[in-house]
Amino acid sequence: MPDIRLSHLSRAFDKFKAVDDITAVFAEGTVTCLLGPSGCGKTTLMRMIAGLEMPTSGSIKFGERDVTHLAPRRRDVAMVFQYPVMYRTCSVIENIELPLQRDRSLSAAERRRRADEVLEVLQLSDERDRHIGDLDVGMRQKVAVGRAIARRCDVILFDEPTTNVEVHAKLALIRAFKEFRARLRQTVIYVTHDQTEAMTLADQIALMQAGRISQCTAPRIMYEKPESRFGGWFLGNPGMNFLVPRGGEDSGLRFDVLPRPLERPAAAAGELSLGIRPEHVEVLLDPAQDTVPARVLRSSITIGGQNLLSLAVGEARLKAKTAPGVPQADGATVFIRCPLEHTVFFNDGQRLPEAVRALG
Amino acid sequence: MEPGAPATINQSRDAPVASTGPWEGFTRFLGRRDVLPFLLLAPVLIFFIVWNLIPTLWLLGLGFYRFSLTSGRPPRFAGLYNYRSILNDSGVWIDLSRTFLFVFFAVVTETLLGMALGLLFWNSHRLPGRRIALTMLFSPMVLTPVAAGTFWRLIYDPTFGVLNSAIRGLGFSSVDFLGDGRVAFAAVLGVDVWMWTPFMVLMTLAALASVPKAELEAAEIDRLAWHQRLRLIVLHHGKFILMLGILLRTIDAFKTMDLIYDMTYGGPGSATQLVAMTLYRRAFEAFNMGWSSALAVILLLISIAFTATFIFVLHWRERREAES
Repeated sequence: MPDIRLSHLSRAFDKFKAVDDITAVFAEGTVTCLLGPSGCGKTTLMRMIAGLEMPTSGSIKFGERDVTHLAPRRRDVAMVFQYPVMYRTCSVIENIELPLQRDRSLSAAERRRRADEVLEVLQLSDERDRHIGDLDVGMRQKVAVGRAIARRCDVILFDEPTTNVEVHAKLALIRAFKEFRARLRQTVIYVTHDQTEAMTLADQIALMQAGRISQCTAPRIMYEKPESRFGGWFLGNPGMNFLVPRGGEDSGLRFDVLPRPLERPAAAAGELSLGIRPEHVEVLLDPAQDTVPARVLRSSITIGGQNLLSLAVGEARLKAKTAPGVPQADGATVFIRCPLEHTVFFNDGQRLPEAVRALG
Repeated sequence: MEPGAPATINQSRDAPVASTGPWEGFTRFLGRRDVLPFLLLAPVLIFFIVWNLIPTLWLLGLGFYRFSLTSGRPPRFAGLYNYRSILNDSGVWIDLSRTFLFVFFAVVTETLLGMALGLLFWNSHRLPGRRIALTMLFSPMVLTPVAAGTFWRLIYDPTFGVLNSAIRGLGFSSVDFLGDGRVAFAAVLGVDVWMWTPFMVLMTLAALASVPKAELEAAEIDRLAWHQRLRLIVLHHGKFILMLGILLRTIDAFKTMDLIYDMTYGGPGSATQLVAMTLYRRAFEAFNMGWSSALAVILLLISIAFTATFIFVLHWRERREAES
């Protein structure tokens, strides 16, 4: 299986740059999730990899093979679209077999065997001979996934395949995806705006913003060490808290949420902010070492039974996720601690590599 | 509600409108829910009744009468006499057969050519000169048949015609396209194809516009052959519009009269005599109105049969696809 190499890839629609000078390598046999908000260029990027969109400039290589100007049919890619695209006059098995017909090395029996194997993986064997029109959207999307994986081509592209299916079908699709990943090791590009899906499925996440990849790394690193404020904000529910210092340049940086000033990072030259994820903010009922008092502005229960608290400390506002038991009454006073090992500095929106340290 | 209080949204739509003066009753009548829809439909209903329903019923009735404008006698009820006369008239059967042949060859050729040209023009938005080419392609369709007939009569002319000039230039002898019984039918058919192929191009382009882009992209990625794309995607999505085009052309070709009138008047002999021309000649040359009305009713029933067959085929295919 080849890797996918993008070099200075751009795509402009009139004056709008949907993809702006992207250079990246998506390693062979891995799942890369293109993650980002709507309109960030992730679908355009994937369509260029598929050959459905021609780049304005730059190149695309599958391994050593330059596919930039090749038609989709010559690239050896399979693709699952956002809406289940079906050949509507055909049955389930015929839909999966159709793309295999171009492969002259496969006999009819081999094609049928491979299609049956895929149906089994997708738990669609009972629907084998049903007309595609009789299936619901979720099942059709499963068939579309089956059609893509049955070809066993080098690269498989998924364009938000779970967006238009209901939640149970979505879970079934994700299960099927994991199942086929366990058997085959193709290079997969998976476009999504659902961060949970990306965190669950990806070997690496390429986070996109305004036509560029702002960070491309493993999900855990992406979550814990976002390269930019955008990454910190976009990943997580809710995203990272960002706190700005309130003066005190001479005696270190002072933050409302910290009892002691911090050392000013050496590389800091622009607008500084301190980031901490809501689940890392410790909330206590009584004062303790390194805590500061905070007022509960609002509390709500998040999925999983956790409390999500909106807190005010001086002029700073932040969110904290706590276990049940912390007072939820609006206006109550609690004490918070922000462990420095879970905080990061951002300078003009970009993360600073050095660790956050208290003065003295 | 107190006088002068504002109306609320809970008021019935049929509630009297507060108005005064001589129009009060009239506006209240117009505002009634059981009257307004009929008032809005009235113009088209009146048009339909006056220009469609009454003439058709009149025609239907006249078909049961012996009525000739040349005899000076009033119409006489004759039951099914006219229908029996038509069914026993071998000339009518021959003309009808010729008409079916004309319809078959015209519609098949126009559909195939129209689809081929439509597919060529499909997704050709960046092709230089596309608009001019399409305008030229569609221009025969907007000509009146009489103008087209005259135009082609001149082209086919054995002495001055440009076509014969070209044939002679190639070293062959002239062909009397419209005067030779062996080629006249094909010559007229050719003009009909020239005139109406653009209509099928238009219908094909409309059908192609209804094909979802994602399915074509999937077919491209799945490396489907062109005939598979045509069958599984293009025809599947475009069949309603294409069938509608075929139906309209079938009915229209079945009624072809003006082109024949202008080009050959049914000749030479009866080589290009289509049934609509027969109807015209019996009605407005022989003035046999009863007989002609009966033939018109038969032609109307045949047109209805065409329509019913097409609708049945479409729905049958749909049902079969749904059941399979």
